[in-house]
Amino acid sequence: MRKMKLNTGWLLLSLFVFWFAGVTPVFGVESATQTETIKDATGEEGPGMAPPRIVLPKYVKRGTPKDIRKKVPNLESDAERDKTRERVLVPKDAVNLASKKEVTGSDEEPIIGDLEMITDGDKEATDGSFVELGPGVQYVQIDLGKRSKIYAIALWHYHQEIRVYHDVVIKTADDADFITHVTTVFNNDHDNSARLGVGKDKPYLEEYKGKLIGLKGIEGRFVRLYSNGNTSNGANDYIEVEVYGAPLE
Amino acid sequence: MHSCSDAEERSSATAVRLRRPGFRVSIFLLLICAGALAFRLPRLMERPLHTDEAVHVFSTGVLLDTGKYVYDPNEYHGPTLYYFTFPFIRLSGAKSYRDVATLIPFRIVPVVFGAGLILLLLFFTDAIGPRAAIVAGILTAISPAMVFYSRYYIQEMLLIFFTFGAIVAGWRYTRGRRLGWALLGGASLGFMHATKETSAIAYGAMLGATILTIVWTRWIDGRRLHLPDYFHHWHAAGALKVAAVVSILCLTALLSNPAATLDALRSYSRYFQRAATGGSSADMDSPGIHAHPWYYYLRMLALFRYGGGPWWSEGLILLLAAAGIVKALKKRSLAGEANIHVTRFLAFYTVLLIGIYSAIPYKTPWCMLGFLHGAILMAGVGAVAIREWLPRRWLRRTAAALFVIGVLHLGLQAYRGSFVLYADARNPYVYGHTSTDFLRLVERMEGLAKIHPEGYGMPIRLIVPGSDYWPLPWYLRRFEEVTPSDKVPEDADAAVIITTPDLQEDLDRRLRDRYFKEVFGLRPGVLLVAYIQQPLWDAFIRTRE
Repeated sequence: MRKMKLNTGWLLLSLFVFWFAGVTPVFGVESATQTETIKDATGEEGPGMAPPRIVLPKYVKRGTPKDIRKKVPNLESDAERDKTRERVLVPKDAVNLASKKEVTGSDEEPIIGDLEMITDGDKEATDGSFVELGPGVQYVQIDLGKRSKIYAIALWHYHQEIRVYHDVVIKTADDADFITHVTTVFNNDHDNSARLGVGKDKPYLEEYKGKLIGLKGIEGRFVRLYSNGNTSNGANDYIEVEVYGAPLE
Repeated sequence: MHSCSDAEERSSATAVRLRRPGFRVSIFLLLICAGALAFRLPRLMERPLHTDEAVHVFSTGVLLDTGKYVYDPNEYHGPTLYYFTFPFIRLSGAKSYRDVATLIPFRIVPVVFGAGLILLLLFFTDAIGPRAAIVAGILTAISPAMVFYSRYYIQEMLLIFFTFGAIVAGWRYTRGRRLGWALLGGASLGFMHATKETSAIAYGAMLGATILTIVWTRWIDGRRLHLPDYFHHWHAAGALKVAAVVSILCLTALLSNPAATLDALRSYSRYFQRAATGGSSADMDSPGIHAHPWYYYLRMLALFRYGGGPWWSEGLILLLAAAGIVKALKKRSLAGEANIHVTRFLAFYTVLLIGIYSAIPYKTPWCMLGFLHGAILMAGVGAVAIREWLPRRWLRRTAAALFVIGVLHLGLQAYRGSFVLYADARNPYVYGHTSTDFLRLVERMEGLAKIHPEGYGMPIRLIVPGSDYWPLPWYLRRFEEVTPSDKVPEDADAAVIITTPDLQEDLDRRLRDRYFKEVFGLRPGVLLVAYIQQPLWDAFIRTRE
């Protein structure tokens, strides 16, 4: 019996180790299942949790053909998107940690606009509201100022036209060089063209509501958002990024 | 009121006839031409094919492979573009359409004809003046629209070249009444007709400009222009015969399709209807897909901005052209380096073309090249006129400096238009253009072919309504098993299926295999979906990880 208890104990311990290795970075190496685990952790509604209060830009009718708005294979549908938005919950006292924070990027001389437009609160897809980085894989990076608990990220690319942005990958980290405690929170690069790993998240049509990604209190100070062109041209456009959470004391 | 007698006019004409372009002017123009080629030749393959370009590339390929050309009065215009592509395809070593490795043999054709416009100025220096010819050469070389469409495999640059060729040949003929120039002019007129049906607009503008020049000269200068003094009627008849022969031989493919002669005339009813409605050729009854307001071209050239993109302007050309037109229409003597009648002809020709093209509801950006070229010639005249009008040396130097700044600005825009925003809707010259994202689809097909057991024999189904899959035929030319269809067939499975979002529900119901699905942009706002058989996709992803 004692032997059986010891074997059961080792079995349970082994299972725990395997699970732990599967869901957390080990020795600085990101887990391949990280993205899925985090995506599912949108939190249960309860005291202290509520949908993030996001101010949306004006809806502009784009004459979207009906066929685009149906379920396009491998593209997030309207229904899926709305369902995801409903499930994203943040602490009631969560704020947009990214507001007016410093933004850096892979392209320090954008083609249009300035990087600071990404955290200026203007979400319209009009002149003077968006920054455009050159073609190829580019990223923008926001320094939240302090290590924080992040519950949701809202992202707007250029949305006045029917577009899908490619290889949208979002990571958080504790340092600006993205070496310490790096976590991939979203990745729809299904063919690894950005060389950041194969992602399982779905591509999506840009719209005025933006893309809302729910996270369960991921900790980090820096948020980096990648993209690699879009279905209209090779440019990488960012209108606004909001990061909902609270600084860690 | 000062006026010259006809005798003085012809005497002066004789003196002008003997004048050749100076050595320095010729060298300048040759250098400008070389610069124009150097600017236009790089990265010809980078921009994805526009649908119109792809159709012409395909038609050239059909002619290359079958040796057959049949003029279509409803679409595609004339065959000169295809004929003039042949030497370049031969130089590339390709024996068939599939063997043509790149787009260079195709796109080099408008490059050559665009640069050729500058060479034609060598024969026109005594018409508008050597300094005006140099300015016109510089502006032709650097105009963003001229550079952009000189790299575009459509008929427009050939039409402009033959049109200017006809004007230059006509001018040279009036200088010495040599039959050779008359016949060359006739050939140019014939090639115009064999290039594009809108040559009729240029013919009309030339005729109108001739009449207006005669009337204006009589009214303003009190001088009568007696046309028979400038040409022999049997030279003119010969020129018209050559024009007809050239046109007929081209359109009928060396008389292999004699019906094309009548088809070419019948085509005008179709094109008039299209011009009036602004409809597309695919559906003439659909209202105004290409219908634009009268100021469409002028706004594009004067000042344009779209979608938060950069500002565009060829206002320098318009301003100088306006000055040139004023100069040409003013009462004046024969003193000066330019020929007053030619400059007036060009002024009226340009204004008539602007008026006609602005009045026609159907508008596409490349249609403005005709009057833009006229405006460039008048801009040369205008630049010289402004210099003459400025009384002080410092004013002239300031004007010269502003001109240099303006030319540099045009050059910057030309670079941006042809090498940066070459397929971006924020470029005014980009119109319904294939998205750069489309090249990802092409790259994907090539990547899959590398790992598919049958290589380029990999079966691909194109299920796209209305055949709206261009320019895929060029990019998939090496694939041997491409099956296009307008609707979803019963047996739809294939290694790869390319379709549109609106057909996916119907397609999903009929597919038996499992597929990975990817979305690609065909044009802004227009998506294609690629279905890739799952095992093939899994094998492909393993090569990427």
